[in-house]
Amino acid sequence: MSDKGTEFFEKFQDKITKVIKKPKRIYFNVKNEDIWEISDYLSNTMGCRLSVCTATEVYDGLEVLYHFSDDTTGIYYSPRVKTGLKNPEINSITPLIEGANWIEREMYDLFGIKFKGHPDLKKLLTINNPHFSEDDHPMRFNRNRTKEK
Amino acid sequence: MSKCRIPLGPFHPLLEEAEFFDIKVEGEKVVDIEMETGWMHRGHEKISETRSYTQSIFLVERICGICSTSHPFAATHAMEDIDNVEIPERAQYIRIFIGEMERIHSHLLWLGLAGHFIGYDTLWMWTWKYREPVLQIFEKVSGNRNHYAMFRVGGVSRDFDNALIPEIHPVLDMLEKKMLMIAGAAKDDPVLRSRLKGVGVLTKEDAINYCANGPTARASGVDIDVRRDDGLEYNLINFDVIVLPNGDVYDKLVLRVLEIIESVKIARQCLDAFPKIGGDYLNKVKHISPGEGIGRYEAPRGEVFHYIRSDGSNRPLRHKIRAPSFSNIPTYKASCLGIPLADALITLAAVDPCYCCTERSIRVVDKNNKKLEHNLLTMSREKTANIKKAVAGSEKTPIDRIFED
Repeated sequence: MSDKGTEFFEKFQDKITKVIKKPKRIYFNVKNEDIWEISDYLSNTMGCRLSVCTATEVYDGLEVLYHFSDDTTGIYYSPRVKTGLKNPEINSITPLIEGANWIEREMYDLFGIKFKGHPDLKKLLTINNPHFSEDDHPMRFNRNRTKEK
Repeated sequence: MSKCRIPLGPFHPLLEEAEFFDIKVEGEKVVDIEMETGWMHRGHEKISETRSYTQSIFLVERICGICSTSHPFAATHAMEDIDNVEIPERAQYIRIFIGEMERIHSHLLWLGLAGHFIGYDTLWMWTWKYREPVLQIFEKVSGNRNHYAMFRVGGVSRDFDNALIPEIHPVLDMLEKKMLMIAGAAKDDPVLRSRLKGVGVLTKEDAINYCANGPTARASGVDIDVRRDDGLEYNLINFDVIVLPNGDVYDKLVLRVLEIIESVKIARQCLDAFPKIGGDYLNKVKHISPGEGIGRYEAPRGEVFHYIRSDGSNRPLRHKIRAPSFSNIPTYKASCLGIPLADALITLAAVDPCYCCTERSIRVVDKNNKKLEHNLLTMSREKTANIKKAVAGSEKTPIDRIFED
């Protein structure tokens, strides 16, 4: 890990849990309240680029994994935020990083995660599809299926 | 001045793929632009969860018809990242060779389309002519022109035939010569300069804020290239990352021409290495352990990203795919506002949004070794002559009258 990475983990050591370290990939858990501060540090102070975010449904809730790429070293920093299965809500980082706009819309579309503070939260992929109503999120296991007319 | 709304798409002769642009203009100037997607959504991420790992690789190859190798490249990287699988050296060189030849044909395709969009069809015909030999190399190496099916976890699925090396070198020499010619033409040609210089500028700050990647970011002065930053196979090769400062469409064109020349150099290094490096080309992987892996690759359009989570079974639990256009297309918000409508189209096309079709033009020879296309031409002429004769006796149609005038 680079010096910048060590400094980052020292600074946020009480906000970061469950660190999984691989040679070029680092996954760690953060709380929903801290994701703004950590994204701000990663993108503005360390100069990382937000590649994309991955939402996954697991047995005890939904989790969102942010992939910040440090292009000088090739290391991925991946903070993970967990939320419940009912009314999932996570703080949006779009006002901070414009590149997160579409991916947050996609996660809202496919998983129904509401991003608090997103300037224009609407569906991205199934927006024009008559087979998917507004509360039908197709990647969820128990999805609210749209009734055939 | 009053605002006017121009809807473009979702099905429009100018758009190769279905997407909807809602353009607001004041006179000639574009003041606002909105985009709606979703017409091409096929649910690959969900389908991949129902397929085995090997099947997933062939599935993701079908995402894009042009850069079809980049998705399997990134997907195999993600699967190998979970267990840190080692790849034989010969397989690494074969992977690089396939990837770079694909970059050449994809950039040539974009150059042609860019020429077509600005009404400069000579450039379009030139570049697509030079693209054809590259596709024929693919047919010889892999058996397919478009979906090469070369990738497996732990290596490649077929070996490279060393006997093909003398056939490939002249094509690479020709490509380098012609690309230098096009680079020279771009420098001197008044048409290209006046239509592209200073058009659709994406500043460095905007490129960073919108998380742009690939040629879109490099033409705006952001020095990123996954091939160099992530290493892996490309540690074997010497190459330069080309970065240009201005961020306009002209720089994006020049950058792609220079990247083709760079790719030719990389392909030559691979061809030099093939006779020296023998051995196995596939490290057979029987099981992928539980865990998560990230794989990425520098596709012709930018960074392809794959994330795979495994639970130890033979299928991925979650397979996230992000194509480069997903990050690059939203930059239209920064680059298209305030420019004339005629320039907006080439600016939208400058990020090289993915097109899913390729032309196929090969000469068909019949059993007497005569070119069939001439027969077709004669048949077509005969048919037209017959129709003319049949029509001559009857009354004249309105269309005939137009031609008489």
